[in-house]
Amino acid sequence: MTVTARTEAAVEQRPRYRSRATLATGFVILAGALAVVCFFSITMGARGVGLSTIWKAFTDYNASDASETVIRELRVPRTLIGIFAGAALGLSGAILQGVTRNPLADPGIMGINAGAATAIVFAIMVLGTQSVSMYVWFAFVGAGVATVTVYGLASFGREGATPVKLALAGAAVTAILSSITSAIVMTNVSALNELRFWQVGSLAGRYFPVFWQTLPFLVLGLVLALGTGRALNGLALGEDLALALGQRVRLTRILMFVTVAILCGASTAAVGPIVFVGLLVPHLARMICGPDYRWILSYSLLLTPIVLLVADIIGRLAVSPGELQVGVVLGVIGAPFFILLVRYRNLAEL
Amino acid sequence: MKLLLLSSVAAALVLAGCGSSSDSASEASAGEGWSYESGDGKTYTADSTPKRIIAQGEAAAALISFGIKPVAIYSNDPIETNKSLKDLDLSGIKILSETYGQIDAETAAGLKPDLIVSSYWPLEKAYGGFESGVDDSAKKVQKLADVVGPAEGDSVETKLEGYEELAISLGADPAGGTIAADKATFQTAVERFKATVASKEGLTSLAVSPSEDLLYVAVPSEASELSDFERWGLDIMDPDSPDPDFAYWENLSWENADKYQPDFLLMDDRDAANSQKIADGQPTWQNIKAVKAGAVVPWPAYWIHTYKDYAAQLDELSDSIESIDPNLT
Repeated sequence: MTVTARTEAAVEQRPRYRSRATLATGFVILAGALAVVCFFSITMGARGVGLSTIWKAFTDYNASDASETVIRELRVPRTLIGIFAGAALGLSGAILQGVTRNPLADPGIMGINAGAATAIVFAIMVLGTQSVSMYVWFAFVGAGVATVTVYGLASFGREGATPVKLALAGAAVTAILSSITSAIVMTNVSALNELRFWQVGSLAGRYFPVFWQTLPFLVLGLVLALGTGRALNGLALGEDLALALGQRVRLTRILMFVTVAILCGASTAAVGPIVFVGLLVPHLARMICGPDYRWILSYSLLLTPIVLLVADIIGRLAVSPGELQVGVVLGVIGAPFFILLVRYRNLAEL
Repeated sequence: MKLLLLSSVAAALVLAGCGSSSDSASEASAGEGWSYESGDGKTYTADSTPKRIIAQGEAAAALISFGIKPVAIYSNDPIETNKSLKDLDLSGIKILSETYGQIDAETAAGLKPDLIVSSYWPLEKAYGGFESGVDDSAKKVQKLADVVGPAEGDSVETKLEGYEELAISLGADPAGGTIAADKATFQTAVERFKATVASKEGLTSLAVSPSEDLLYVAVPSEASELSDFERWGLDIMDPDSPDPDFAYWENLSWENADKYQPDFLLMDDRDAANSQKIADGQPTWQNIKAVKAGAVVPWPAYWIHTYKDYAAQLDELSDSIESIDPNLT
């Protein structure tokens, strides 16, 4: 009796390690869930389209049939962007939380969203562009420049870019960029309107051109990100221990920031600053699979698109015949869920 | 509220007396009582004819065409791209805004206006530029003087008559300038438009304004020029479920862009290049038969405020409609 009791107590205190087989099974189930969500993402929307028409849209596409156009040219790219941008948001969140060892890390604290926003209002003001496919590039460049600046600022000094210095540099750069954005927006209403639309974050109005533009960066970022698991496990032990284990900490960090910049830049460019999902899902993944980053990354890869697409579908149906932007839905549903998660589990286990 | 404070009238008269060269015809009526029945149904009065006028951009275009020059204007958009202002001589007129919802209140107050002129929007029960939701700066300007102007929605023609009446009450010469000639040209253009439309049996149209997230479909009875077009014989489709909060439009998801199938589209021309670019980027835009057939015609949306502009726009519309197939749908 006593022996059993003690063992149980010990198990309770340790992070839960699940067997590889269990985790692999979970991964397959998640993949199935993602497929189901994709099915609903393609079948549900502002326009009612029957299953036979959907089938025909894929097998015998007739562009002059509006229902088939909606499936092929609106809902398919919207779903694809949801999958890739979602995965990018989740992985960048997981990496940022790991590399900065800050449980609240998200692309916001790196000045990434502020950089993209500034670039967008600049593009609207200077070039007068108002089309999404044009300003994705500006968002991308803005996000990249902001990340590099933050990392550069944080790298001054002997220890290099430590988590605390990164957070401080991120806050400072965000403040500067936000004030520039405000200054432009105050005097330019068309920029303000575009920014309002973009800033909430949405999967609507993004079609194949935006998908193809951002896809190479998303794929590159995702491949790089999935390779960082082992290094993140090392960093999770603390910088000194990681060094002692033979890890090149500074190089690893730079590589991870490059990866995050690519992921955030591309996803922010594609769908706007939907940061919350990147904060939430890695915690969810950690809750399911324990502290091994290789599994956290894999689970985030599938979980984030699921969460994002489900929120998007809810947004399409909630205020029909109009639509609610996915960023709004995530905020409304995600925030209480996140509070529950925090109550249930101590998040500062990084 | 309708009465101006005596002191401010006195101050305004003193200011108007020094160095103002633009008012010539208006001298005669100064000193007599002034009144005007405005678009909101109220009659506004003053002890003397208002001299220092601040006008909303399009309203200014109307006033200038009838020979009244405002001291300042506030525009919803940049003067150089505003369709009703871009060809006018605005020298000596202060620009208080080139952005909707904002007006430079400090400069406006410094000008000591005794009248503000803008069209009245019955749907929002507000004069243009002072709708609910505008900045505090604009709300402050509204308090500087009475706001008057004819109502929007029913007809550009009656709106212009309202502006003419207002201009005459402010001292304009009804026979001055090119007004008579412009009116004649306008009447010719109207007759041509009527004949063109009549020659196209069964022709239907729809007025739209594309945006990144929605396709807006205009409710014709809430747009003055569309109401005119209908009166002159053009069939413009009525959207069946306008936005209850902003009944100028029905908001269509791009998924439902093909909901209405007219023979030709009237497309909001206020920011034509951008609208075109946005529409072209929408896959379902091509599912509107009129788009596929190339039957998309600029719609001079809400901005026409002079007989001259109206005549020119009507002639362009007639030219376009002549080549449109009335049996497309």
